[in-house]
Amino acid sequence: MNFLDWNEQQEITQFLHHEARLLDEHRWDEWQRLFTPDGLYWVPLVHGQADHLNHASLFCEDALLRSMRARRLEQARAYSQQPPTRTVHVVGNIGIEAREEGENGGLTVRSTFVLLEWRKTEQRMFGGSVLHTLRRHEGELRIHLKRVELVNCDAAHEALQVFV
Amino acid sequence: MIPVIPIKPTAATPPIDIQTLVQPDRVHKRVYTDPAIFELEMDRVFGQAWLYVGHESQVPNVGDYFTTRLGREPVVMVRHTDGAVNVLYNRCPHKGAKIVPDGSGSAGKFLRCLYHGWTFKCDGSLLSVPLRSGYEDTGLDLKDPQYGVRNVARVATHRGFVFASLSKEGPELKEFLGGVATSLDNFCDRAPEGEVEVAGGVQRVIQRNNWKIFFENLHDTIHAVATHESSWRAAKEEFEAMPSGTPKPFEVVIVDGNGEPLEFWENLELKGYDHGHGFMEGIFVPPTDPVSLAYVAALEASQGAQRANEILRVNRHNTIVYPSCSPHTSFQQIRVIRPLSVDRTLVEIFSFRLKGAPEATFQRTLKYTNIVNSPSSNVMPDDLEAYNRVQEGLGSDGGDWVSMHRAIGRDQPLPGGRASNGNSEMPARNMFGAWARYMGVDTGSAA
Repeated sequence: MNFLDWNEQQEITQFLHHEARLLDEHRWDEWQRLFTPDGLYWVPLVHGQADHLNHASLFCEDALLRSMRARRLEQARAYSQQPPTRTVHVVGNIGIEAREEGENGGLTVRSTFVLLEWRKTEQRMFGGSVLHTLRRHEGELRIHLKRVELVNCDAAHEALQVFV
Repeated sequence: MIPVIPIKPTAATPPIDIQTLVQPDRVHKRVYTDPAIFELEMDRVFGQAWLYVGHESQVPNVGDYFTTRLGREPVVMVRHTDGAVNVLYNRCPHKGAKIVPDGSGSAGKFLRCLYHGWTFKCDGSLLSVPLRSGYEDTGLDLKDPQYGVRNVARVATHRGFVFASLSKEGPELKEFLGGVATSLDNFCDRAPEGEVEVAGGVQRVIQRNNWKIFFENLHDTIHAVATHESSWRAAKEEFEAMPSGTPKPFEVVIVDGNGEPLEFWENLELKGYDHGHGFMEGIFVPPTDPVSLAYVAALEASQGAQRANEILRVNRHNTIVYPSCSPHTSFQQIRVIRPLSVDRTLVEIFSFRLKGAPEATFQRTLKYTNIVNSPSSNVMPDDLEAYNRVQEGLGSDGGDWVSMHRAIGRDQPLPGGRASNGNSEMPARNMFGAWARYMGVDTGSAA
C-alpha cells in the first residue's frame, strides 16, 4: 500500500527516525510520551505469534511496565548498566501496511531495522521488522502498538535490557 | 628495533584432588572454574542423578517429540504407540546422525533418520533399513539391540513430570525426590482438575556463569535487597507515583518484594533434602485481587473449601530439584538448568496451565514469567551481572575459597533433610554435600 502523498511519507519517516534517535540517546521519557495512554510495546517470543495474553513474549509492556523499565535503567545501582548499553538503530523500508477507518486516521506502518548493541565486551546485532500502529492524538502521531518481529526472537538470549 | 615481548609460559594446571576442594563450610574456586571438573561433573553428577526431561503434555500424541540435553547427551522424549513416553539418545545407530531436529514436533508413527533412511519405532527398536540384503552374512546383525536407538538407562514420571537417569544404578525417582516431591504434587494439586499442561512457549536465557552459581542463588535470600536495588526501587517509585489508595498492581508486587529488609528473609523457612534438593517458603502473600479470587473459587468448586485451603496453604517460592530444574509452584513455572560449559549455562523457562482454572490465571502466569524470568526481565539482568562478576572474579588469584559459613551448625533436622532460617547458607552446603557424594568425595559431614 502506498503513502497518500509526499507529506504523509515525510511525516511518518521522520517520526520513525525520531523514535529511533530517542532510544539511541536514552531519552526514555520522551520515548514514552510517543505512546497513546493505552499503547503497547510488544516483542513476540515466536514468529507469527497471534497474541500477547496467552503466550509468553520477549517484551510485553504497557505504560506501567515501560515506565518501570525506564526508571530501572537510570538507577544509580543498576549494576547491569555499569557500563550502560549503547545502541544504534538503522531504520528503513518504510511502508504502509494498513489503514484504519475513522476520524483519527489510524494506520499501520511497517519498517525494517538493524540494531547494534554494545555493552562491556561484545557487540550484538539484532534485526527485524516493526509494525507501528499509529493514531492521531491531539493532532500528533502516537503509537498505539509497536510490534517488533526480531529475526531471532526464538533464540536463547542474554539479557535484553533496553527497549528494542 | 622492535623489542620482543616474551611469552610467559602458562603454568601447568595442577592435578585435581577433589577431596580437598569441598569442605563443610567452604569450597575451592576451582569447582566453578576448572573445565576438567566440569567434565567430571558431566560424568558423575549429571551421569548419575535423575534429571528433569520435560512434561508429558509436551508430547500428547503418538510420534510427538521434544529434544533436550541431559548433561552432555542430546536426547529426545517421544510418545510411543503404546502410549508410553520414552527418552532416547538422539543418535542414529548407523552413522551417528541426530535423528530428529532440535526442538519439538511430530515424527509420525516412527522415527526416520535423514541420512540413509533407517527407521525406528518410537521405543527405539529398529523397524527397517534400506538394502537389508546387503547385511546378510556380515557381522552386523539387525536383530541386535545395538542397532536400535539407545534408550537412556532409566525413565520415570511423577504426576506427569518426566525424569531420566543416565545410570542404571541409584535410587528410584520417588526416593530421589524425597521432600520436594510435595512441590511437584502441589504444582498439580493447584489445578482444579488436578493436572497441568505446558503452554505459552518457552523462554531461554544464556548465563555467563557456572551452573552451580545459579542454583545457589535460587535460595540465596540476602542478595535480593542488594543486587536487585535497581528494580525494587523502580517498582517502589512507580507505586509512589500512583494516586494514593491505588491497590498495588501485581506487576509491582512481584518486583518490589526484593526490597524487603533482611529480617523479612530471616523469618522465611528454608528446607534442604538429601540429593541437594530444597525449597523456600513463599515470599508472596496469596493475593486477593479479582483474578486470584476467581481462581480460588474454581479450586473450591472442584475440591471443596477445606481441601482447597490445604492446597493453597502450601505456599512456596523456588523449589530446587538438584541438579536440573527449579519449579515455582504458585506461579506455575519450571526453570530447566542446562550447563553448556564451565562458564556458560542455559536456562529454559516453561509455563504451565492449571487445567480447569480460569483463563486469566494462565495469563497471570505468563505475566509473571514475562516480568521475572524472560531475557528482558527487569529483575534478572542484575542477577546475571552478579553471576558473571562472580565467575570472572573466581578466575583470579585474589583468593582461593568461597565461603558458605553463614549460620552453619544451626540447622534443625527433618526426616530426610534439614531446615534453617531464611538467611542461612544451608541450601548451598546441602547442594555441595550432594555434589561431593556424586563426585566421590567424603566430606565427613552431611551438610
